[in-house]
Amino acid sequence: MTTLALSPDSSKTTGHAPGAGWLFRLHRPALYVWIGIVAVLAAGLVWLWGPLTDSSAAAWREYNEFCLKRGSCHYDPDAIVRYKDVYGYTTGALTALPFVVAAWAGAALFGRELEHGTAQLAWTQGLSPVRWLATKLIVPTVVVTAGTGLLVALHRLMWSAGDGRIDTAKSWYDSFTLHTNGPTTVAFALTGLTAGALGGVLLRRTLPALMFALTCVAVMRVLADQVMPHLWPAVTRVTSLDDGYRSSGLGVDSGLVTATGAHIADPGCGPTSVSSACKTVYDDLDATGFYTTYHPESHYWPLQLTTTALVVAVATALAVAAFVLLKRATATPTRGGTEASV
Amino acid sequence: MTDTAMAATALGKRFGRRGGWALRDCTFRLPAGRVCAVVGPNGAGKSTLLALAAGLLAPTEGRVTVLGTDPASARARVGYVAQDKPLYPQLSVAETLRVGADLNPGRWDAETAERIVSAGDLDPRKKIRSLSGGQRTRVALALALGKRPELLLLDEPMADLDPLARHELMGTLMARAAQYGTTIVMSSHVVAELEDSCDHLLLVGGGRVRLAGEIDDLLAAHTRVSTATGSTGPTSEDGSPDSAPGGLPELAPHTVVESRVTGRQLTALVRPAGPLPDDWRTSTPSLEELVLAYLRNPQAAPLTPAEPEEAAV
Repeated sequence: MTTLALSPDSSKTTGHAPGAGWLFRLHRPALYVWIGIVAVLAAGLVWLWGPLTDSSAAAWREYNEFCLKRGSCHYDPDAIVRYKDVYGYTTGALTALPFVVAAWAGAALFGRELEHGTAQLAWTQGLSPVRWLATKLIVPTVVVTAGTGLLVALHRLMWSAGDGRIDTAKSWYDSFTLHTNGPTTVAFALTGLTAGALGGVLLRRTLPALMFALTCVAVMRVLADQVMPHLWPAVTRVTSLDDGYRSSGLGVDSGLVTATGAHIADPGCGPTSVSSACKTVYDDLDATGFYTTYHPESHYWPLQLTTTALVVAVATALAVAAFVLLKRATATPTRGGTEASV
Repeated sequence: MTDTAMAATALGKRFGRRGGWALRDCTFRLPAGRVCAVVGPNGAGKSTLLALAAGLLAPTEGRVTVLGTDPASARARVGYVAQDKPLYPQLSVAETLRVGADLNPGRWDAETAERIVSAGDLDPRKKIRSLSGGQRTRVALALALGKRPELLLLDEPMADLDPLARHELMGTLMARAAQYGTTIVMSSHVVAELEDSCDHLLLVGGGRVRLAGEIDDLLAAHTRVSTATGSTGPTSEDGSPDSAPGGLPELAPHTVVESRVTGRQLTALVRPAGPLPDDWRTSTPSLEELVLAYLRNPQAAPLTPAEPEEAAV
């Protein structure tokens, strides 16, 4: 885009295009707020990772060692509750972060500017609409990726530190932890950004663009949860009717296996070791065992990375749509650029 | 051959696929170095025309060229001030001008921009959101002039200004036009506002260009005539003010913009096709009379020379 202004008869123009200084000037408060949010959450996660995990783990060790086995103990229930609370707050906040990005992008970064004409002001100040959009996407992408990426990494480290040491710690496939432990959260935030851009360019109004961006992120999250288990081949494990389901992980499907090997629906009676009455139910169905199709923890990264790639692809498609719409709505340079004056 | 600041060929813009045409079949040529008034009633398509020239909108049909190229390629050399003077409300005046400098690397004339702002007794630390309409106009003009435009497009620039500020800013603009040869195109629905300072006219009505050309040429091309109806024409008995003079054969060879019959008196604004009869009283119309006559009579034939020979000085 830098060469656009360089048509032969505009040699008076010194041809370097505007950088991103104007963007920082316009959105400095938003940048400070973002840095603040990231700093507070990072501090919370580090606190959780070190002292809170240690004290909670110590309390659990104490509880399991003494309270259950010997009946007399001095464990610290506050440490357990504090870990649980802070974990809930930080994980919840990190889950909400893509929505915050979406709301800001839809409303402040794009919608309001197009509604009040300040975007058009920029387009008549030596900044082409395409370059305007590109700058407004690239710079926040870097900032959002850096901030969200840092938080996700800290969350992962924090979670790993508590894994196996804290009995109430969330499993890797907990619906919130599943995403806050990996790059899908970053991809959701980027979806919020590009959805805000598309909403702004499409609707040219602050509030509708905000709603559009929020809806896009919500839909993206729901879709990602639906699609994720199918993005990587799952494992199927068969257990006896006595044992019941014995696998833990991200479930895909479960039910009964018949003598012919067919998978049928589970009537919900439970393992025969618990209720012997179920035996006749299973005999009627010709069932020989339970099956579970699921993802063990070793599938975490393949699932995370494929889902991230998918969400990033959708985010990119939203951005491309915004570019196409903007190019169609505004004047774009014709081929050749110049034309002899009559 | 003169340089063309702005030219349109069959330019049209429709909003929405089924919306009405805001501008249609618009053809004109504006030579460089002129101060051009774009005049027309509200909703005539003035803003659409300026936004098309500024590259903010893509035309639905036809095309517009500015400074010898397409609007997108001319962006850096064209200044534009929109009707509602959009500015970033959260910034101070000084910060707004710094954004202007950021956005126009290598072109920005900080001195000019600051001079325009300081002439209005504006505290540079004041936030844009706290400014009055006139002060906003001043900052918006400073932004537009700071980029050293070769063509300046102003949409209803003076609407928010008190007479004193209007006079002062108009003076700044005219001095600029004279000093740098900047072409200025400004729209207004108040003709009197532009009459003294403009030398070119573009009259837009109902989405079409009705008149285009040098104001002096346009005025010279029209004559106000008044004459006794003589052998009273058959259709003018009722004295209806705006009736086309079908029954008045003596006007026939000339292009009639407007005519009215009051009693036995016929007055008309015509574009003479030849010498007028000696017994007709003739006078040159004022610009306002000319504009109003065209606006009152949408059926009058437009005068829009695509290549006005007389403009080629």
